[in-house]
Amino acid sequence: MIQFESIDSPLNINLCSFSTLLSHDPLSVSVGFSIIGGLITCKLVPEFKESFIKAKLTGKDLAKDDKEPPIPECMGVICATVYLVCMFFFIPFPFMEWFSGKGKISQSEEFHAPTFPHHKLGEFLAAMLSLQSMTFLGFADDIFDIRWRHKLFLPAIASIPILMVYYVNFGVTHIVVPIPLRFIFGRIIDLGFLYYVYMSMMAIFCTNSINILAGINGVEIGQSLVIACSIAINDFLFLNDADPAVEAHLFSLYFILPFIGVSFGLIIYNWYPSEVFVGDTYCYFAGMTFAVVGILSHFSKTVLLFFIPQIFNFIYSCPQLFRLVDCPRHRLPRFNPSENKLEYSRVKIQKPLKKPASFVLDLFELLRLVKVDKGETSIEVNNFTLMNLLLLKIGPLHERTLAILVVVIQILASCLSFYIRYHLVHFFYEVI
Amino acid sequence: MFITTLIFLFALTIIYNIAHDPLSVSVGFSIIGGLITCKLVPEFKESFIKAKLTGKDLAKDDKEPPIPECMGVICATVYLVCMFFFIPFPFMEWFSGKGKISQSEEFHAPTFPHHKLGEFLAAMLSLQSMTFLGFADDIFDIRWRHKLFLPAIASIPILMVYYVNFGVTHIVVPIPLRFIFGRIIDLGFLYYVYMSMMAIFCTNSINILAGINGVEIGQSLVIACSIAINDFLFLNDADPAVEAHLFSLYFILPFIGVSFGLIIYNWYPSEVFVGDTYCYFAGMTFAVVGILSHFSKTVLLFFIPQIFNFIYSCPQLFRLIDCPRHRLPRFNPSENKLEYSRVKMQKPLKKPASFVLDLFELLRLVKVDKGETSIEVNNFTLMNLLLLKIGPLHERTLAILVVVIQILASCLSFYIRYHLVHFFYEVV
Repeated sequence: MIQFESIDSPLNINLCSFSTLLSHDPLSVSVGFSIIGGLITCKLVPEFKESFIKAKLTGKDLAKDDKEPPIPECMGVICATVYLVCMFFFIPFPFMEWFSGKGKISQSEEFHAPTFPHHKLGEFLAAMLSLQSMTFLGFADDIFDIRWRHKLFLPAIASIPILMVYYVNFGVTHIVVPIPLRFIFGRIIDLGFLYYVYMSMMAIFCTNSINILAGINGVEIGQSLVIACSIAINDFLFLNDADPAVEAHLFSLYFILPFIGVSFGLIIYNWYPSEVFVGDTYCYFAGMTFAVVGILSHFSKTVLLFFIPQIFNFIYSCPQLFRLVDCPRHRLPRFNPSENKLEYSRVKIQKPLKKPASFVLDLFELLRLVKVDKGETSIEVNNFTLMNLLLLKIGPLHERTLAILVVVIQILASCLSFYIRYHLVHFFYEVI
Repeated sequence: MFITTLIFLFALTIIYNIAHDPLSVSVGFSIIGGLITCKLVPEFKESFIKAKLTGKDLAKDDKEPPIPECMGVICATVYLVCMFFFIPFPFMEWFSGKGKISQSEEFHAPTFPHHKLGEFLAAMLSLQSMTFLGFADDIFDIRWRHKLFLPAIASIPILMVYYVNFGVTHIVVPIPLRFIFGRIIDLGFLYYVYMSMMAIFCTNSINILAGINGVEIGQSLVIACSIAINDFLFLNDADPAVEAHLFSLYFILPFIGVSFGLIIYNWYPSEVFVGDTYCYFAGMTFAVVGILSHFSKTVLLFFIPQIFNFIYSCPQLFRLIDCPRHRLPRFNPSENKLEYSRVKMQKPLKKPASFVLDLFELLRLVKVDKGETSIEVNNFTLMNLLLLKIGPLHERTLAILVVVIQILASCLSFYIRYHLVHFFYEVV
């Protein structure tokens, strides 16, 4: 009998993971559903374009000529609904002994995904309840155009089911302290109630951070696909029979793979030049998927590592988000019709500047993150978003080039995350 | 909104301190849900009008401005959020020493075993899907043949979880039919079809007995209260079905709460319309408690007026007889009353149409006016039938009449269920 503990070559493990595609277990079913979900999304999106325009769910492409007609918006709801219906049909597969004799971890050469114990059903359904709530609330946000301060809490409301079920299942609220901080906190601290606050904040952060790194054709789905694929690759690395975390990572894959499928179905129509817009619905849906797999599979720190560009964009945007510096309604790059390129957009602040605003501007100037034009009565500075920063440093770019650039940055950041997670981890935690 | 959240959290702490079993917590949440709905509906009227979610009251003067529609989504969302917060209560030993069935004089609701959590969450997933699909239907105005299947899609979670939990697919055959089928038959796959059909029927049958101010919520509240009363009858420690009926109460009580919060604004004269969203939400709630608590036949007994309205409407629904876009009663502005509306059909009539008309005329269910080139007959709905028999009525009177009929039908249902049951099943 071949035991996986003796095969420690990563290549072997990866080959075995690929072989699951040919074997008969819930994981292959999940892959199948992902493909089906992608094809159905691909087919449904054009069919609904008319209905969305008729229902006045349209948006104006701010980076195109004004003469272009408005295009359908909130198409993320189609992709999220297909995802949810596929997941509905997928519910029995991880819990049933479908495949006689192959349900359990076998000792053969191939990896077979084990069936889950029944108590996992509660977590599975709670995760779906949260995802569906988020889609629903995101769609309502697109319909009613809810104000920013209310928008921030929609993901917290949507995350209540997983928090409640986490509590019912006597979820762990201890965390292991990173090695450098152990002299303060000790090795393990029990966060108690704060752990639940942390989980809500994770949901709020993942959704809204994708939402603010958005606005040009294809960048929302692009960044989400890179994050999703990174999570999936990370999960595949855990798929060998010896690892105790295999159940958690299978759980994560069952949610991520269909997400990748339906997102591909949608990006076909959303990539430059966009035929449809995804709306806030998609950003909420994507962010919530990542938060849910991170929380329920206990690798939220790894998920956050994949969010490095979003974290940078968020911190960089903070002065404007918290109104230290003036924040216009749209901070998208500005379109230059004559050259058909995007340039960085700017905000005008009236003199005299308040103390916090001038402090922030000085700090960012020192870090070379801004370009400040001082005038007589006012100061002009570029808007504090990652895309504006890229246009500032590189110069005007075509919209598709900028989108590709953001996706490439996301990929490079993911590679860095893998490096941190698997090589630098020794500085923070003991690895067994 | 902020004040609403504060009130909600404050009420949560009160409940936590006062209630001593999940049932009282559920009652508490129902009251809170009702109050929050009551507060939120007026706050959202502006947003709905701005989002173009409005409807014209066809039974009022044309001069009236359009009023907000689909307000059922507010009531359903408050219900879902309350249920989210309620999730731990049936499953935790909150109340030391009182979690189990005690032998004292009072009834204490026992905590549920963990496998019930799957059913509970699946039920909420189905309800939320239905609300979502119903809201999408109101936004996109989906066609009738697609609309019919939305409840089937929404019911998939409970079907799947029913399957995972090795749900029973046998049914006990009623005594009069046993000579054909035997005592128990295993429907297998057909049981799942039956459950989907139940969802499709409950939702759409409420949807077609609708159209005048307040009648959708009115009939739903009567059905919900009947189910709740039926559940309370089972609440004593000796009954093995107590768990199933508690489960049903946990879903029905908050529904009653939020519906009361909404009917305040929807009763005559309506300030808001509930939209198809509410009908789907209500029907799905009843289907879900019927399916998961295993008393779907009793739930269907409470649907007698809806069943009658559906069968009566069948010829028009299946296009044997012409079916106009709206079959609502017609408004007479001069007398401020509703009269029955009619449909005109061209001669010569097709065979099925004339057969149906002759049959209904025999049963005194229609009034037919034969003309030279066409025939006019009243639309085949319960409300038109009432107006035909009684004469023109004020809108509020008609709504009250429908609710009274629903109450009388529920009384009949209780009689059938508890007295006539001996003809159909052995009662243990």
